Amino acid sequence: MFCLETYLQESEDYDILIARTGFKECTKVIEENAPEVIHVNPGEKVLGARIIGIPPIPIGINEEKGTILFPYTKPCHGTAVVEIPVGQEEIDKTRELDIK
Amino acid sequence: MKKALILLGCPESPSQTPMAVYVTYKLKKMGYEVTTASTPSAMKLLEVGDPEGFYIENKIDIDSCIEKLDKGTFDLLIGFIHKDAAVSYFVTFYSILDTTAIAIVFEKDADKLIEFENTVSENTNAEIVSARAFHNPTPLRVKFDKMIKKLEESNVI
Repeated sequence: MFCLETYLQESEDYDILIARTGFKECTKVIEENAPEVIHVNPGEKVLGARIIGIPPIPIGINEEKGTILFPYTKPCHGTAVVEIPVGQEEIDKTRELDIK
Repeated sequence: MKKALILLGCPESPSQTPMAVYVTYKLKKMGYEVTTASTPSAMKLLEVGDPEGFYIENKIDIDSCIEKLDKGTFDLLIGFIHKDAAVSYFVTFYSILDTTAIAIVFEKDADKLIEFENTVSENTNAEIVSARAFHNPTPLRVKFDKMIKKLEESNVI
């Protein structure tokens, strides 16, 4: 099972589109940069980790690149938008979380 | 025994740690078992300020706490909010727990204070205690005491 926190600690294969900013700004970055955007509730497990944020939380999907974009919040560091490569299975699982 | 969870984020403001101890003291007097979920830095300040755990007995890392959280785990949520990230954490914990909640909002900047209050009230049914406070926790303590009295008199807590 994919574990986001472990992946971010052990891999350098991800992009940070914006960092150390507010949550609202990150939602705009996701909506502007992802070809497909779904929305989830706070606390939903996305890529194995509880997503922190203000609902509805946008999660970006780029199926062509095989990546997922999501807001990543830490208490002392604000919120960032992280884009990581994932397999098709993870993309499909993430899509199922859409609250529409 | 009723269970309360206190949420502590970045301890940048000097008011946060003493207010967290005060809130714990008040809740324990009211019969709550209190758990504090905090960042490592906030926890260090609590450990130095309360070395024998006289007030702060149950401590957990904030990210470990959220992993195990579920509706009904706690009867009361109290969150300290003075940064954007703390708003996000509070709304998320509230969404998972779906319980009675108090948001203690404090900021030097009046516009940011209003922004944080609005985001909390738009996304939760939490009671809000707010003050322009940074170094001096007294305005928060006074307002928190009033809020607790009001909620006790209405049998909410």
